[in-house]
Amino acid sequence: MPAEGPDPATPLWRAAQVFRLLSCIYALGFQIAINADLERPTAAWLLLGLLLGWSAVCAVAYLHGFGRRPAWVLAEIVVVVALILSTELVASDQWALDNQSWPTTLWATNATISAAILAGPIAGMLGGVVVMIASTLVKGFINYDLGRNATIVIELAVGLAIGMAAQTARRAHAELEQAARLAASHQERERLSRHVHDGAIQVLALVSRRGREIGGETAELAELAGEQERALRRLVSSADAEPRAGEMTDLGALLVRRASDRVSVSLPADPVLLDANVADELYAAAVNALDNAVSHAGPDAHAYVLLEDLGDAVTVSIRDDGVGIADGRLDEAAREGRIGIAKSIVGRMNWLGGSAKLNTGPECGTEWELTVPRR
Amino acid sequence: MVVDDHPIWRDAVARDLAEDGFTVVATADGMAAARRRAAVVQPDVVVMDMRLADGDGAQATAEVIAVSPSSRILVLSASDEREDVLEAVKAGATGYLVKSASKQELGAAVRATAEGRAVFTPGLAGLVLGEYRRIAQNPGAGPGTPSLTERETEVLRYVAKGLTAKQIAASLSLSHRTVENHVQATFRKLQVANRVELARYAIEHGLDTPIAE
Repeated sequence: MPAEGPDPATPLWRAAQVFRLLSCIYALGFQIAINADLERPTAAWLLLGLLLGWSAVCAVAYLHGFGRRPAWVLAEIVVVVALILSTELVASDQWALDNQSWPTTLWATNATISAAILAGPIAGMLGGVVVMIASTLVKGFINYDLGRNATIVIELAVGLAIGMAAQTARRAHAELEQAARLAASHQERERLSRHVHDGAIQVLALVSRRGREIGGETAELAELAGEQERALRRLVSSADAEPRAGEMTDLGALLVRRASDRVSVSLPADPVLLDANVADELYAAAVNALDNAVSHAGPDAHAYVLLEDLGDAVTVSIRDDGVGIADGRLDEAAREGRIGIAKSIVGRMNWLGGSAKLNTGPECGTEWELTVPRR
Repeated sequence: MVVDDHPIWRDAVARDLAEDGFTVVATADGMAAARRRAAVVQPDVVVMDMRLADGDGAQATAEVIAVSPSSRILVLSASDEREDVLEAVKAGATGYLVKSASKQELGAAVRATAEGRAVFTPGLAGLVLGEYRRIAQNPGAGPGTPSLTERETEVLRYVAKGLTAKQIAASLSLSHRTVENHVQATFRKLQVANRVELARYAIEHGLDTPIAE
């Protein structure tokens, strides 16, 4: 377990040590009760002393945290298995068959719990299986009768349940940290954007304005300042937008990245959330149309993107005020095999179950209207 | 009246307007000052920055209109922060211009605002359109919630797609003036709805004792 900050499973480790204490008391009581039936009672007492000592060491190790690593948990499993196998040493075969394995299944469960807390439900269940194999070896036969002997079921259930609890605690912790980080970075961006707005953008806008009035060489400087002002303004406002929101993507936040001096992007105030795949495809189709507009509409043309959320559908319109496509030129282009872009846009929209409409004509620019239904 | 917390900007805008033949009756560096001075000078047009030291442009717009109901507000903003601008329009602003606009554009915008015409950008039209759609999709929408006529929706969509009023007029066979009226109507309905909403909120929360109107 790489120790980054406090382990979110710490409360579980603490609770497990309480369980360890109770299981030790139970093992002690069991030992007192059955001592007379054992073949080698003295050896059993010595082994119980070992058990109590080891338990104390484990408790300290897990509470302090230095024991919360694979090597330590493996050691614990080895000790547990060894103690279970020692039943052969202290008791007769008949006793082993009639009783639970020494030094009680309850105490053996500690290893399962440790494995589960350390590495999740699968490790926990594996720990439980190992403990059960050891006790099966002691008995010498596999007990299939889960009705009479539910130990295996209990071991697996403990491993699963505690493992999942530990996993959930870690995930929740990770998510919480992620959320806190996001909130912090968002705040930082907001603070930064306020500063940039109040300072740099205003000054650049002012320089560009005054410079244009003075004229001459200053006008060139003004032009540069103006470009920077607009670029900075876009940067700041698009940095505010976080397109990804879980499984959903804000199409508006994607589109606004394409805004430039020649591309105006009009959006509703609220995010337009779509399934991430749908949003990506629709965005790709819109970019196709936009790139096409910018490259074919002529050097002075502007492009306008409008995103509308109609509730049961989302529409993106991409219009340019360029030369447009004269009647028949589209057919001509198709004959020359230059219709790739239109085809790719229509293809994407068909794939999404939506539609693509092209309005064009000489002198009125070109407009694509891409609509996707919401499922 | 020019409201901007940036002294250089405030002076530059005031000077530009004066050179353009306007009379700048007051300047203010924040919301409180804007309210005080607007109450006294009752300006025809207020050129309003969106970020002020003691509040935002939307709040300041509402406060200025409260003390000087005949004033028309033109928002001049360094940012195109979407929500801010929409709030300002709801609060009663009738125009919006970014600060990168030229001196000539500013003069034309102030003149248009003074004449009671709406000054808007494709981006603002997209916002207003989105706002109506949001309202329409809200299941709690009762009678009295603002909605657009088909024609208004059509006009707003054209504006948002960057067509000029002239182009829209030609394409819909309307007069230039009618197109502008449609846009203005969309702003006005949002403002009225916003006032009704505020009043309802005030009554529900027992705040219906004097709010300066």
